[in-house]
Amino acid sequence: MGKYVERFNTAERVLHWFVAASFVTLLLSGLGLYSRLFHGYFDLFGGGVGAIAAHKYAGAIFFVSSLMLFFNHAKEMFSFDEDDRKWFRTLGGYLSKNPEHINSGKFNAGQKGFGIFMGIATLLLGVTGVINWIPASFPRGIVQFSLLLHGILFLAFVMLMIVHVYLTTIGNPGTLEGMLYGNVRRIWARTHHPKWYKEVGGE
Amino acid sequence: MDADKTVEKGSYENPTDLTSNLYNRIRFLESADEKGNVKWLFMNERCVHCGDAGCMKVCPSPGALHRTKEGIVVFDKEKCISCKYCVSACPFNIPRYGADDKVTKCHLCFDRVGAGRLPACAQACPTQTLQFGGRDALIAKAKAAGKKLYGENALDGLGVVYALEDKPEAYGLPADPSIPTSIFLWKDVVRPLGILGFWGSVAAVVVHYVTYGGNRRLDEDGKGKGGDANG
Repeated sequence: MGKYVERFNTAERVLHWFVAASFVTLLLSGLGLYSRLFHGYFDLFGGGVGAIAAHKYAGAIFFVSSLMLFFNHAKEMFSFDEDDRKWFRTLGGYLSKNPEHINSGKFNAGQKGFGIFMGIATLLLGVTGVINWIPASFPRGIVQFSLLLHGILFLAFVMLMIVHVYLTTIGNPGTLEGMLYGNVRRIWARTHHPKWYKEVGGE
Repeated sequence: MDADKTVEKGSYENPTDLTSNLYNRIRFLESADEKGNVKWLFMNERCVHCGDAGCMKVCPSPGALHRTKEGIVVFDKEKCISCKYCVSACPFNIPRYGADDKVTKCHLCFDRVGAGRLPACAQACPTQTLQFGGRDALIAKAKAAGKKLYGENALDGLGVVYALEDKPEAYGLPADPSIPTSIFLWKDVVRPLGILGFWGSVAAVVVHYVTYGGNRRLDEDGKGKGGDANG
């Protein structure tokens, strides 16, 4: 028995990094639109006009790839069982020095919630993005609300992304390997996702 | 004009809206009371150069919309990045975008004003319905003549103050003009909260890492210590 077990296949990993790369492009090109404080970021795209153009292209790539990722995992994300409820009650053991055993499947309850938020937020950011893009085609009240909603969702997105990057790197050592190379160490699988580990043939 | 080739729009007014080439027009409103008496109202539709200008508040490109020392809100097409946020933020729906996808609106002939001349609209108006001058003096003059003023204090004082002969709504003006609520929430609530949210999230994960992080390492001897499960 090898030391590793497959977690994400090549297609899933490529898709994830498409989402990640387009997200970073959207973040850098959108910061200057969010506030004049970040006006300097426009220079990365040769000015505001270039940043808006990049934002539109990256937005289209992000919208498609993020929704594909969402639908690829929709079945796993929408199945909450008793172990997932236990995860929510104990906040995944993240605030305990001696975390309880939580028998998570391929994704724990927090990851499922994160995935569902990502799907809904991607849809809403896409819709509001198109409205903000061509405001003359919509009633003024709709465009004004759309600008507000796009800003709120962006803020929620950035905050969750900070948490996502932390939890998948230094917060839980061994996690990133799954998204880089496709496989994770058996000890990692047994520790974090015991139910899934059993399903894929671990002891 | 050939009547068969033109469109009947229910009004004599022409043109019927501001465009990227038309910064300033006279809005014509015709109404009749129950006795059939017809009443006409006229209003100069144009940028009113708000003291607290929504367009300037939302514009992400410094200098694209700015205020001259005379208090005129002007645009600079070179700096406009075509985001169109100003269109949504204007309480009076004034900015227009043309084929070049850049903002335009009345700039009160800032170049003429800067050279000590009247804006073209006031210069051309034969009846002095449009007057240009010191704001306080013009307001005092209108009040002395018993006029009801619109825009004296709204939005920190409009640069263009109207002497209306009916309710503002009859002219299609908002009774109490203000920056649209969604725009206010976006720029004055969500934006500052965003800075707080960003640094709050960073602080939260750093604190978590130094307090609980070590507990989540995987032991190389094959026994996972912490985290979601004790393996």
